[in-house]
Amino acid sequence: MRIKELIFHVGIILCLSFVIGISANLSLIKQYRKGDFSQSFLSPEDFPSIQFIGIFEAEDLFVGGNAVFLDSRAEEKYLEGHILGAVNIPFEGGERIVEEQLPFPRETTLIVYCDGNECQSSVLLAKVLAEFRFEDIRVFFGGWAEWVAAGLPLSERNDT
Amino acid sequence: MIRNKSILLVFRLVVGGVFIWAGLLKILDPLEFAQNIANYRVFSRDLSLLAAIVLPWLEILCGVLVIFGIFRSASSLLLSSLLAAFLVLITVTIFRGLDVDCGCFGSLGRHVDYSLLLADIVLLYLTLSIFVSSLSRRSATS
Repeated sequence: MRIKELIFHVGIILCLSFVIGISANLSLIKQYRKGDFSQSFLSPEDFPSIQFIGIFEAEDLFVGGNAVFLDSRAEEKYLEGHILGAVNIPFEGGERIVEEQLPFPRETTLIVYCDGNECQSSVLLAKVLAEFRFEDIRVFFGGWAEWVAAGLPLSERNDT
Repeated sequence: MIRNKSILLVFRLVVGGVFIWAGLLKILDPLEFAQNIANYRVFSRDLSLLAAIVLPWLEILCGVLVIFGIFRSASSLLLSSLLAAFLVLITVTIFRGLDVDCGCFGSLGRHVDYSLLLADIVLLYLTLSIFVSSLSRRSATS
């Protein structure tokens, strides 16, 4: 009897949490079902300056020469190899570097990348850049792994 | 097992306070929490979002119930189960060598490491003490 009562109480708490949680986030669920967060849980309304791009767009922007690539990986990884011309802004301490050292106008196209599509530092750095009012930030989701696999230009020296 | 009522009250206040605080911070930014969950690379995106929506409310509800002593067994059992699940997740994450934000306290998050594992074990001890004491209290009154 006591176990039944315990299970009943657990059920009540769980149901309440589901009902409140889902009712409080109905608009978020609608956005999700619409496909707004297909690549990252980043709200387009909160971060309108951030877009997600694939390898082809990244390559086009690289060839165009007007965009700046930002490598959000740790310095050791950057020094082992990075996209040619990329600037290293390790996410740890990235806020300080963006504030003190990023010499680009706010309208510059910035392409942020990290190891590959499973790392998170590029998205986190993109959020920092958006907070510093950069207007055109692209997260290259395939990152370093996809760039290397595609045989695109690399550098093994410090470009910063 | 701890039977001292004053110590158990302190346990309830600490556990309840921690979970209410953690839940409130997550409610402020459910998308960030969903991303934190997805970063563990264990759950699908659907499950990550569902957990990010439901888990903070579960933490707050259980925290309030534990503090006020309502459904004490059920709420402390749920919190213990959550902490046990976090314990497994943290351990697996450390062994996989993933450098992720735990997502425990919303944007005030911290990285998954051994100190987090220790904090989780301490909290689990507190919630289990509350659960066991509430069971023995029930059997004493029945």
